[in-house]
Amino acid sequence: MSSDTLNLTLRVWRQAGPDKPGGFCDYQLEGVSTHMSFLEMLDVLNEKLIAAGDEPVAFDHDCREGICGMCSLMINGQAHGPDRGTTTCQLHMRRFASGETITIEPWRASPFPVVRDLVVNRSAFDRIIQSGGFVSVNTGNAPDGNCIPVPGHRQEIAMDAAACIGCGACVAACKNASAMLFVSAKVSQLSILPQGQPERAGRVLNMVAQMDKEGFGSCTNTSECEAACPAEISVSHIARLNREYMKALIFADR
Amino acid sequence: MFRVASDTLNSRVPAGPLEQKWDKHRFNLKLVNPANKRKYSVIVVGTGLAGGSAAASLGELGYSVKAFCFQDSPRRAHSIAAQGGINAAKNYPNDGDSIWRLFYDTIKGGDYRAREANVYRLAQVANNIIDQCVAQGVPFAREYGGTLANRSFGGAQLSRTFYCRGQTGQQLLLGAYQALMRQVSTGRVKMYGRREMLELIVSNGAARGIVVRNLENGKLEVHTADAVVLCTGGYGNVYYLSTNAKGCNVTAAWRCHRRGAFFANPCYTQIHPTCIPVSGDYQSKLTLMSESLRNDGRVWVPKNKADQRPPGQIPDDERDYYLERRYPSFGNLAPRDISSRAAKERTDAGFGVGESGLAVFLDFRDAIARDGEDVVRKKYGNLFHMYEKITAENPYKVPMRIYPAVHYTMGGLWVDYNLMSNLPGLYVLGEANFSDHGANRLGASALMQGLSDGYFVIPYTIGDYLAGSKHSKLAEDAPECRAALQDAENRITKLLSVNGRRSVDSFHRELGLLMWDYCGMARTKAGLEATVPRIRALREEFWNNVRVPGEGSTLNQSLEKAGRVADFMEFAELLAVDALHRNESCGGHFREEYQTEDGEAARDDENYSYVAAWEFQGAGNEPVLHREPLVFENVKPSTRSYK
Amino acid sequence: MSALLRILGLPALFLSKVPGLGSVIRALSTSVGQKLLMATSGLSLVDFLIVHLGGNLQLYAGEEVFNAYAAKLHSLGPLLAIAEIGLFSMFALHIGLAVSTAAMNSTARASSYAMKQTKQGLFVLPSGGASNWMMVTGLLIFVFLVSHILDMKLKKGFGVSYPPAAADAGDATNAFQNVKAVLQHPPHAILYFVCLIALGIHLSHGIRSALQTFGLNHKNWNFILRWTGFLLAWAIAGGFISVVAWALAVKN
Repeated sequence: MSSDTLNLTLRVWRQAGPDKPGGFCDYQLEGVSTHMSFLEMLDVLNEKLIAAGDEPVAFDHDCREGICGMCSLMINGQAHGPDRGTTTCQLHMRRFASGETITIEPWRASPFPVVRDLVVNRSAFDRIIQSGGFVSVNTGNAPDGNCIPVPGHRQEIAMDAAACIGCGACVAACKNASAMLFVSAKVSQLSILPQGQPERAGRVLNMVAQMDKEGFGSCTNTSECEAACPAEISVSHIARLNREYMKALIFADR
Repeated sequence: MFRVASDTLNSRVPAGPLEQKWDKHRFNLKLVNPANKRKYSVIVVGTGLAGGSAAASLGELGYSVKAFCFQDSPRRAHSIAAQGGINAAKNYPNDGDSIWRLFYDTIKGGDYRAREANVYRLAQVANNIIDQCVAQGVPFAREYGGTLANRSFGGAQLSRTFYCRGQTGQQLLLGAYQALMRQVSTGRVKMYGRREMLELIVSNGAARGIVVRNLENGKLEVHTADAVVLCTGGYGNVYYLSTNAKGCNVTAAWRCHRRGAFFANPCYTQIHPTCIPVSGDYQSKLTLMSESLRNDGRVWVPKNKADQRPPGQIPDDERDYYLERRYPSFGNLAPRDISSRAAKERTDAGFGVGESGLAVFLDFRDAIARDGEDVVRKKYGNLFHMYEKITAENPYKVPMRIYPAVHYTMGGLWVDYNLMSNLPGLYVLGEANFSDHGANRLGASALMQGLSDGYFVIPYTIGDYLAGSKHSKLAEDAPECRAALQDAENRITKLLSVNGRRSVDSFHRELGLLMWDYCGMARTKAGLEATVPRIRALREEFWNNVRVPGEGSTLNQSLEKAGRVADFMEFAELLAVDALHRNESCGGHFREEYQTEDGEAARDDENYSYVAAWEFQGAGNEPVLHREPLVFENVKPSTRSYK
Repeated sequence: MSALLRILGLPALFLSKVPGLGSVIRALSTSVGQKLLMATSGLSLVDFLIVHLGGNLQLYAGEEVFNAYAAKLHSLGPLLAIAEIGLFSMFALHIGLAVSTAAMNSTARASSYAMKQTKQGLFVLPSGGASNWMMVTGLLIFVFLVSHILDMKLKKGFGVSYPPAAADAGDATNAFQNVKAVLQHPPHAILYFVCLIALGIHLSHGIRSALQTFGLNHKNWNFILRWTGFLLAWAIAGGFISVVAWALAVKN
């Protein structure tokens, strides 16, 4: 670590509303502690803007510990910034150098319209889950937990997929704005577990159809999503989705 | 500072033996005919474990449900951040667990300040929760043979905690979220994201609707229903720095309190012992390190205050493993309140480590030597990774530095056995109510309570109310709706028009510091007495000097924060008054005047074995105290000992 | 673009009305379905390339062997025509799907980033950033295809002087000399060389990508799958390039 504080130029996307034109604004920020998280740095910027009578930069955030999936941001062209397996809220300023210009943009994808500044609407993800990302079991209907054994290693793979935080970094990073990693994570989790079997074929067909309907792009197996995913979800789940899809295509009773 | 009402609150706990209360009660509850259910509408505010599971379950039953959350998606509620696990007395490990033992541990853990019947019901339905979640596809940890795995957790001497790596809350929430999404797809639940509840609508004495602000476009909306279910979480953010998400707030609960709902035991706040210490004044939140780490990590400070050696070079006989020393039978697994206070005791005495001196070590050296780094990585890898990301230190090599931080709030809106507040038709679930944890919550019990309330309590109890209610549909432009809407609008206008010089955050930070210093881990009469006028002064300055830029008609995050902080400013005073009125130490509420010789909390069962439920009398006016006596028919309150 | 998409979608629209086929066609029309068709057509084209390369490599065995091989191919008559129709429909499908997915992708990212960097390593071996060049390399391969058909099949290669056909033996007897004539024409040699490099790049992502689309991804096999895809791609491209190099080398 060279010094404890940084002087930065921030190039931030500002957009007053969904249908308003947007553009970059440059801000100088001095004396940024290297121990700050990226969002704390933005807090400091906002305090400065408020003091100067300007409107603060709107950005999504909530838990600030990397699990809620609310924070986003394209930082210097990388979803959640330069570190792998990290959300923006966990990214720390020690990763940057003094004098640097940092470009901050919202997620860009047609199904994720900008609400304001860096805030986008990700409700498309909810609608994809609504189309089949669940097990249809009513409350009170469940047998004893141990009646459904799951081999330890299968459960681990399911958990790898289930770790998705739904932040949308996969879509943001993909050159095609494809949501395949997100969709495959849920399809994969539920296709591995015995609980997901009854609805297996319909789930993958419906979720893919909804994904297309939302206007996401097509997967070209570039694996950029995997590199950008803060939960480090592997593209092997996309392969599993493809297998599930083929099986459903051929064998599903429709 | 307050007035005492002469009445006693009726908790509506059914009579009969403890084990049979819930069964018999369910039999006595009125039912709604399946065909009639869709005619009843229910509003659910908040979509965490309690709200998500409640909305989904009510939808499954056939009610017309509207669910609201302030996040962009219901999947993001802060339940998601719970790491460690969820308790249930399945006794799968065959180590002697039982419903009774879970009940007993929870009552004792709560320092005998919880309602027996509620806690017993919680222990009873806990097993169903595990089954339900497994059926939903929640990937709980498994043994090699495919059966469910358990681990031990603070405050218990056996393994009853089910977990999904270090992200149990996430998986349980996603289970509830998916169940909710399924109901949304059937049309039985209508989901409203990015909506913040600003007012409760009360009509003829019953809760009948809410006013929300659409955070994306600033529009105020009125929603009416036959009942309102509040699942809006805790108020830990009154301390500004806490492990809560930035958006967590007391607004929904406080707005209900202002409309007549009693607020119970606000002074019961939980300070979690294992959090990453504060590193600077820009800090925006504190990060929890799961309590499960204490299964293998050992907590210590140097015996010599002036010891400046790197921790690895301090030999064992110069280390003070103070939890093991003070509580030999529970050791590092002592409950949260006890461990937190023990850390505070050491750092106050000058033995703290790190730059600020406000930290203790949590050391995995021995576990790594015993089990190897790989085993430790498998159990805690993601937590270690998170620690390293935040502190840039490698916990496999140097001990973690940890310090207590505000984590959970046991207090909340008062509810009866049916989880209904004193306002008919207003139900309160999960952390937002006060019901099950007494003065201190044990680890892995919050998830249990949220899901118990949502999956297995509210579906039955709300039917009883709805079947008995005779009200007609409330129009969205009825006078009481218009009045509530007007109140919400006026407040927004007022916040935007102050146009002072200080930002909302600066006020919140100041309030938080005040609360942490005087209403935090240890409280004194003098400190609390001095704090109340300071809170009032700060509140007054807030309304005269806050600057909320922007307009009300767009996404305006400053305005959102301002509304929440304004409510914290009122709520903080009640918290301090409650702490001041409770002249005893119990669980998370530690009054320095009331402690035993060896520094443990000294309860006063004779005078304070009651729930303190406060009635609002106007901001700045003395609140009225209503008491619900706590009756212990099955366990005998004793001095809580973990030695 | 969208008009083009509608035209491309017409056969699917027609087929989806056929009883029993409808649901399958609909499932094949989604983004994942299109990928499956893309992979199917791509891998069959790879098969064709392997067979074609096998033929080409017979050039090394000398004029007689190669001409005999060419003659045998031509003697297949209607079978050859059927194979050619199959081949061209695979090309058409592959290209059509490429256009359709590209259109879908550009709509999905209507406004682009001011700054975009990959989070994958600088050299993601073995395929590198090949996936980002599929359109460009695909286009080059298309140019090559057109030129190749003109050069070799129709003998209308621009600027190429073909040897006179032997009057009694038909076209095929001259195949060896025809190939040499085309490849020894410098602009063609350069064009072929560049396009075959593009082919190598295209396949180095394409083969692995097709396997992923078919769901072949397993941590025990990924290393082998990845390198097999890469090596096969460059073996094919390298094989064809060696023919170009050979033709230049035997220039006399």
